[in-house]
Order: sequence, then C-alpha cells, then structure tokens
Amino acid sequence: MASHKQAFWFGVRDLLPLVSGVLPFGLIAGATGVSMGMTPEMIMGMTVLFFAGSAQLAAYSLIQDNAPFIIIVLTVLVINFRFVIYSASFAPLLGPLKKRYRLPLTFMLSDQVYGLCSMPEQQAKSNGERVFYLAGVAISMALSWFISVALGVALGASIPASWSLEFTIPLAFLAMLVTTITNRRLFLVACISALCAITFQLLPYNIGFIAAVVAGVSCGLLLPNLLQKRVGKHG
Amino acid sequence: MDNLSLWLLFFAAGLGTFLIRLSFIQLHASSAALIERSKPILALLPPGILAALCMPGIVFTRPTNEYQIDPLQIVAALVTILIAKYSSSVFWPVVGGMLCLWLLRAYG
Repeated sequence: MASHKQAFWFGVRDLLPLVSGVLPFGLIAGATGVSMGMTPEMIMGMTVLFFAGSAQLAAYSLIQDNAPFIIIVLTVLVINFRFVIYSASFAPLLGPLKKRYRLPLTFMLSDQVYGLCSMPEQQAKSNGERVFYLAGVAISMALSWFISVALGVALGASIPASWSLEFTIPLAFLAMLVTTITNRRLFLVACISALCAITFQLLPYNIGFIAAVVAGVSCGLLLPNLLQKRVGKHG
Repeated sequence: MDNLSLWLLFFAAGLGTFLIRLSFIQLHASSAALIERSKPILALLPPGILAALCMPGIVFTRPTNEYQIDPLQIVAALVTILIAKYSSSVFWPVVGGMLCLWLLRAYG
C-alpha cells in the first residue's frame, strides 16, 4: 500500500512542471470566454464538461462564427478523437477497475496523462502502481486546468504573451518523446509522425494529428520488415 | 446562440468526449482479445503520438491562424532534446529549452 501511495505522489510530482504550460493555456481559455460575454458559471461549466483545452478553444471560435450546433459538436468530437487511442492504451489498466474509480479516471484522461504514463519507466511497473501514478497525474492535471481557467476568468490573460509560456507544452511532450525512444524502430515511428504532423498542420479538425500517428505507426510496423526482406534477398 | 443552447452544446460535446474516452475502457472485457492482438501497434504509439503532439507547436509560431516557421523555437527544442537525453524528468529539459528561447530572443 505504501508503494501505491508513493506512486500517487510521484504522479503529482511529475505533473507539476507541466503546469507552466497548462497555466497560460487555461488563462487564455478563461479570458476568451469572458471576452465573448459568457458568464463565469458558463465558462467553468464548459471547462468541466469538455475537459479538453484545444477543443474548447475551437468551440469558442465556432460559436463566435455562429456555426450550426451540430457542426460545433462534430468538430469537438473529431478534435477529441485521439482519446480513442488513449482509451485503447489504458483499457487493460483501467478496464478492470470498479466503476467508481474507472469512470472518474477515464473522464480525466488527457494528453499529459498519456505522455507521462506511457514513459518506459512507468510501463515497467506493476498495474497497481501504474493506476495510482495515473490517478496522481490525472487529478493534479484536472485541478491545475480548472484553477488556470478560473484565474483566466478572474484576471484575464495576464501573463505577458512575449514570455511564450505556452511553448512549455510542446517542449514537455518533446522531452517525454525523447525518453520513449528506446530503439531504432521507435525512432523511425517518431520521425515519420513528426514529418507528417508538420506537413499536415494546416488540415482542419486535427486531422493532421491522426494522419501523422497512423503514418508513423504503419511505417514502424511495415518498413523494418520490408527492409529486412530486401537485405535477405540480396544477402 | 442563446444561453440554453450553449448549455445544451456543452453537455452534448462533453458527453460525446467522455464516451470517446470511455470507448475501449468500457468494452475492455469484449475488446481484450483485440487489444492483445494490437499490442505491437500500441507499443509503437507513444513516440508516434508524442511526436505528432509536439512538432507543430515547435516548428510553427501560432499568432491566431497564420503559421510561420520559428527558427529560435527549433533551436530551443534541440537544447531540450539534448538535456532530455541525460535527464529522466521532464522538468530540466523544459527549463533549459525555455531559457535558451528567452536568451535567443533577447540577444539574437
């Protein structure tokens, strides 16, 4: 049990540096809502119900453009489609849990949770420890997100934009990326996915993200085998 | 849009998002075999996902809708990669990358 409690706090500790990126993003999400004339209750309600920052910002701009109801909902769902992959990745871990643990933890799955919990160090641990670590990351992530948005509602986006604090978000994922690359096949996956993500950046609805992941993983599955066959033929 | 439709919108989008998150986790028992067979794919996902999450934000600046390549951000990212190779936490690579970005912006 002691190791479980410890795993929880390790999760909280590992999330803390990521707050530097969550905070400015949350401030923007809160302040944008205020600038659109939404009441604080509505902004916080939206924040809790969505629990997905990029989808929330996309919804704001569609609401401003007077887009039809169904288009906004569909856009949000397409942007959040990546959570299907997280769901499949964490299914063996969270699926067997009791409902009262499974549903809240599922609700709090996010990019940050996926990144930290899929690092090699975590994957080597026991399932019990992994669940508690995930809970530590997820709960502290949720709290820092809600508090950041609330601060944005109360204070506006008061961190100077020139500090570029939101740049800590891609940097943090980049650091996690470096840690997950433990062999050449994984390096290949990362390179292909990175190239596609940059190339398809301008596609709408986060399609570039899904395309990049699919391309990277397919190449990682197929290319090494193809190359091996070719070397085998010549050799 | 009036307030009632906004609330309806938030509930619909929130519920849909939750169901996406729940999909495989809820169907765990019946999808266990499928997930077991997809193990080779799932093992390749972390670098694929993390690369796709971070690369656009590193290569491009994002003033609203105009995407421009930012060389300083790319240099800062290289510093982060270098530190991440020797540090197991996320903290120091991020600190190093941000310091590099601020220095380059101030003196570059």
